[in-house]
Amino acid sequence: MTGRRTVYEIYWEILVYCKSPRSFTGIINRCDLNSKTGQEYLEFLVARGYLALVTEGEKTVYHSTPAAAEYIGLFSSLYQKLFDATPEFKL
Amino acid sequence: MNPALNQFKKEIINFYLVSIINIVFAALAIAFGICYLITAVLGLPLDLGIPEFRMFTGAVAMICFGLGLSWFFSTIRVFEGIGTIKDILCASGEPITEEGITCLIVRMLAHYRDNRKTIGTMILVSTIGGCFFFVLGIATSLQALSLSPSGITFTLDNFLVIPAMFLILGIALASLLSSYYFSKFAKVWDRRLHEIEESECALKKTLGLDEA
Repeated sequence: MTGRRTVYEIYWEILVYCKSPRSFTGIINRCDLNSKTGQEYLEFLVARGYLALVTEGEKTVYHSTPAAAEYIGLFSSLYQKLFDATPEFKL
Repeated sequence: MNPALNQFKKEIINFYLVSIINIVFAALAIAFGICYLITAVLGLPLDLGIPEFRMFTGAVAMICFGLGLSWFFSTIRVFEGIGTIKDILCASGEPITEEGITCLIVRMLAHYRDNRKTIGTMILVSTIGGCFFFVLGIATSLQALSLSPSGITFTLDNFLVIPAMFLILGIALASLLSSYYFSKFAKVWDRRLHEIEESECALKKTLGLDEA
């Protein structure tokens, strides 16, 4: 996904994408991040226990932990609630 | 269907329609701008006795042409992002998952943040464009104009007035209507952006970022 996103949107995107184990390159490509900022986001999520580093053979991949489900659920409910609270745009 | 998805889909389709109407009328505005510019420069078919008036018509036509171009390219930029989201929403096939809905909402918000200034410009350009097209319609419909100390005398050519006035009035109306709908759209999405900022506290708390 491209465009101006908040950090919380980027965290959500990474966590959803990492529901299946993903490589660092795969994550930064998918989330349209540069390697420096991508590394920062991943380090943060690993430190908070939302992402786990898994070694698969010679590769190290990232995988969302069960704790990430709480954040993903809250994020989805908050964003979908936007359409309950605000008046809709119509012709 | 998920009520959020239902409303989101309706809004995107409506905005997509407004964008298409905008593209059509912006293209017409460019075409009319060029047409009236050439007419004013060559002095055809206007038989105006005052060269200054031809210059005035030419200047207004040039402004309309510029506004039309700006209107067209701004709409295209906004339209591209909306079109992609609309295509995903309207694609027949597997139903969209909860995550898929959230992903599209995030995508739309990112697109709106990127194009917020452009939409603001479009609101302004459409309003100004509407007014200029109205002036252009009147100016090119004048067959003769004379200024004297006793007042202003002008003659209208009916053959030119009726079709030209309708077309130009249509463009002016579309321009003003699109300005209204873009303002409405911007108001709704600005409010959503504001609500997201407010709800970020909950996300912060979940991530354990509010300890400080």
